[in-house]
Amino acid sequence: MAEKISFTINGQPTTVEVDPEMLVIDVIREVLNLTGTKRGCDNSTCGSCTIVVNGKATKSCNMPVKKIAGADVLTVEGLAKGMELHPIQKAISESGAIQCGFCTPGIVMELYGLLEANPQANQTEIENALNKHLCRCTGYEPIRDGALMAQKLIQDRK
Amino acid sequence: MKFKYLGKSYNRPDAIAKVTGKAVYLDDIRIPGMLHAAILRPEYAHANILNIFTEEAEKMPGVVKVVTGKGCKYHYGDNIRDLVPMAIDKVRYIGEPVAAVVADTKANAEAALAKIKVEYEPLPVYIDGREAMKPDAVLIHKENGQYWHLPHIKPTPGTNIANTYHLIKGKGAEGFKDADVIVEGDFHYPLGSCAAIEPHGAIVWFKEDHTIDVWSSSICPFIIREDLAHSYGVPVSDVRVRIPDIGGCFGYKSDITVEQTIAWIASFVPGRPVKWVASRKEDITSTLLGHGIHSKMRIGARKDGKLVAIQNEVVHTGGAYADTPVNVTMAATHNCAGGYEWEHCDLIGYTVYTNTPPVGAFRGYGHQEGQFAVERLMDILARKLNMDPIKLREMNYLSEGKTNSLGEMMWKTHGDIRQCSDYVKEKVFSKPKPAEDENYYYGRGFAAVSKSPKGAPFSTKGCYMKMNIDGSVNVSMGGAEVGQGLRTVVRQVTAEALKIDPERVRVYNDIDTLYSPYEWQTIGSMFTTQGGRAIIRAADKLIAILKNTAAQVLKTDVDYLEYDGEYVYLRNDPSIHVSVKEITRGYITSDGITVGEMAQAVSDARLPRYMNPDANGQGSLGVSYTFGATAAEIRIEKKTGKVIVDNFTSAFDIGQVINPQQARGSVTGGVTIGMGAAISEKVEFSEDGKILNPHLFKYHIPTYKEAPKQDVEFIENPDAIGPFGARGIGEHSVIGPAPAILNAIYDAVGIDFYEIPVTPDVLKKALESRQEVK
Repeated sequence: MAEKISFTINGQPTTVEVDPEMLVIDVIREVLNLTGTKRGCDNSTCGSCTIVVNGKATKSCNMPVKKIAGADVLTVEGLAKGMELHPIQKAISESGAIQCGFCTPGIVMELYGLLEANPQANQTEIENALNKHLCRCTGYEPIRDGALMAQKLIQDRK
Repeated sequence: MKFKYLGKSYNRPDAIAKVTGKAVYLDDIRIPGMLHAAILRPEYAHANILNIFTEEAEKMPGVVKVVTGKGCKYHYGDNIRDLVPMAIDKVRYIGEPVAAVVADTKANAEAALAKIKVEYEPLPVYIDGREAMKPDAVLIHKENGQYWHLPHIKPTPGTNIANTYHLIKGKGAEGFKDADVIVEGDFHYPLGSCAAIEPHGAIVWFKEDHTIDVWSSSICPFIIREDLAHSYGVPVSDVRVRIPDIGGCFGYKSDITVEQTIAWIASFVPGRPVKWVASRKEDITSTLLGHGIHSKMRIGARKDGKLVAIQNEVVHTGGAYADTPVNVTMAATHNCAGGYEWEHCDLIGYTVYTNTPPVGAFRGYGHQEGQFAVERLMDILARKLNMDPIKLREMNYLSEGKTNSLGEMMWKTHGDIRQCSDYVKEKVFSKPKPAEDENYYYGRGFAAVSKSPKGAPFSTKGCYMKMNIDGSVNVSMGGAEVGQGLRTVVRQVTAEALKIDPERVRVYNDIDTLYSPYEWQTIGSMFTTQGGRAIIRAADKLIAILKNTAAQVLKTDVDYLEYDGEYVYLRNDPSIHVSVKEITRGYITSDGITVGEMAQAVSDARLPRYMNPDANGQGSLGVSYTFGATAAEIRIEKKTGKVIVDNFTSAFDIGQVINPQQARGSVTGGVTIGMGAAISEKVEFSEDGKILNPHLFKYHIPTYKEAPKQDVEFIENPDAIGPFGARGIGEHSVIGPAPAILNAIYDAVGIDFYEIPVTPDVLKKALESRQEVK
């Protein structure tokens, strides 16, 4: 039955009253109306639903909401500061990485989890991260370009 | 020619909305009072429905209505009206809607679905068109031949053949008498899924005022509108279809797909909007598939390599309904002649009803499938003639002054296949191939590409343009943005046509049939060509209005005036001028009296002289072809049989490039899809018609690590119709990979494959049996 579960989402403390087995993606999309997180498959293959939980990129479509009790959760809506895009968003929006845009939020959150924790991530780490996501539009080349641009922007920022 | 705003990589107008998660896709739409539907699919791929018991489902929590197909009196379809929104007395494929539950939440609707009981009488199942077209096959549609259809469609009543298209050029098959060498093969491009990352979805709302509101992840809002108006007997103007952002299409969101089913369900709960979004499994089992084409092809040439004749029998496993596959079959049939001139053609295509999901477009209408066959056979023919395969092609390219299978003359403005071919030859084949080593065989393969346009007699695209008081411009059109970058094209072409900075052009986002200009549908790589032409026409009208107003202000004749984006001025004395900003809403004189018209214009552009096929199956598709050439450089892992595509090179003559970054992205993405078809993607069926791999972890689309490095080149021979000489580049890049990769496999290991995908298992088995033969 429904339980109260509290966590922080995009910096805002929040409490939802839902079935603790409800999937995180459904809580985010249907309860909190944060529709930037996307569902592209039925069994955590495509990566479109990726969010950041306690700093780590996590697929939200196979995780019950009880697992994020007390956690710090970030979705794509939480990245930009007002009109100022996060460097990953800036790079991904300029490198040609966006076509249909449906896989984009998941990839942005994946890169956030990787590059904010480790701005010096090596090529293999970046490749392993991107390999968790399916994109049907781009052939991945401009996504790689965007990831490398983002890494540079983040390194320069620090 | 030099352009100010073309050939430059302006950023997409929708990039920020998409990267911030604010772009609204179908599943993101919330409407007050909205209900949710879940749809029951059958246990059998072909069966009579004896009974449906819905009582238990009706008692479940949150359930508002349980719907079946009982009582449905209409069929629908644009080419053949053979579709029903929900199975009535029989099911014809494993994903067909049998019943639906409408409930307050999706979870409640799905829970109730399990309580519906259906009794079936199973019938024989056909998953292959070659079996289904046999004279003794059980009929999938006993009504075949009685359905309304377009005049050029020829069903064979009493069989499962929904259409036969036959093209004869020259002496047809008699032409083989002139051939010294003939090669043949039986090719198969199996059923695949477009697998856009966003699954299909729709919302339909029958309102109390007898109007119907629809939202869909479709590229055909105007077809949906007319179709629903026809089915429900309301004026077309009273069906309002809105298209939000679309998360990829690649073909299977064209034509009407899920909308009629959701409308049927919603019609039982008038006053309430009903939403349905496909799971990935439903997206594969219950929307359109692609391909499913067998090609039994033979080609003949003279000793010197001059091609003389081509014959092909296309058998299309079209699926349970033929409305959408017919166009794919026909285009696969006439496009199979590829980028070559043949004096004699005998090409026949059968669209066959089968117990598989219906086939629709998949990044082209049959272009990949037909040219897969001809490009493989060109390599095989070259070996038999002892010629270099590229040299053989060079002798026969469909160049200026030659005619294609349809009898259309090629002009310089169709682009130059030889220039594309030369680029690829130099880039890939001028260096030595890596030598076989301990772990890998290496191979290289070539394939030329020809892409026909796609239209219909009424296939026009409209544009509405208004200039604002500050000289900025809003453009509204009916073209659907699926990721291809259409909004960027609209912005840049408008800027060029009106001579204003692209930053001053605001492009429409959503499509709404209540306000948007008419567009047939956004298919066939035609938007840049036709939509761009419509923009130029609208811009010309708008500039004419500005000049007419300026003529009154400057007290002179219109034809003495020039427009430069900022001013309208007297040609012989530019100091006599009026600024555009002063005349966008007419010109207000000092005493408040206003002269002139609002600076706004409407236009459209159809395909010039498009015609239906004549008695020989020939005709005019109305506008330029696009040509290209491609090559694959591959490795085959000896231990596993795995094909690794290290490099893929593509050159296309697309005329004036509008946005280099987008054009390249279209190609790199398309090549990756084509590679997936060649080595991993296939929708697998059991004998009884069940789909065995309806999930992305089983239906394997290429990942980051599998994508090849790419070399992409554009040749820019200007087009005659497209805006400022541009042609489209939406679908072309998926055509080359399968034949190029299979030609490379032969180059590496000397084995000819005629069917894709060449998975590691398939290749390893072939390598092992080859060793046994040795």
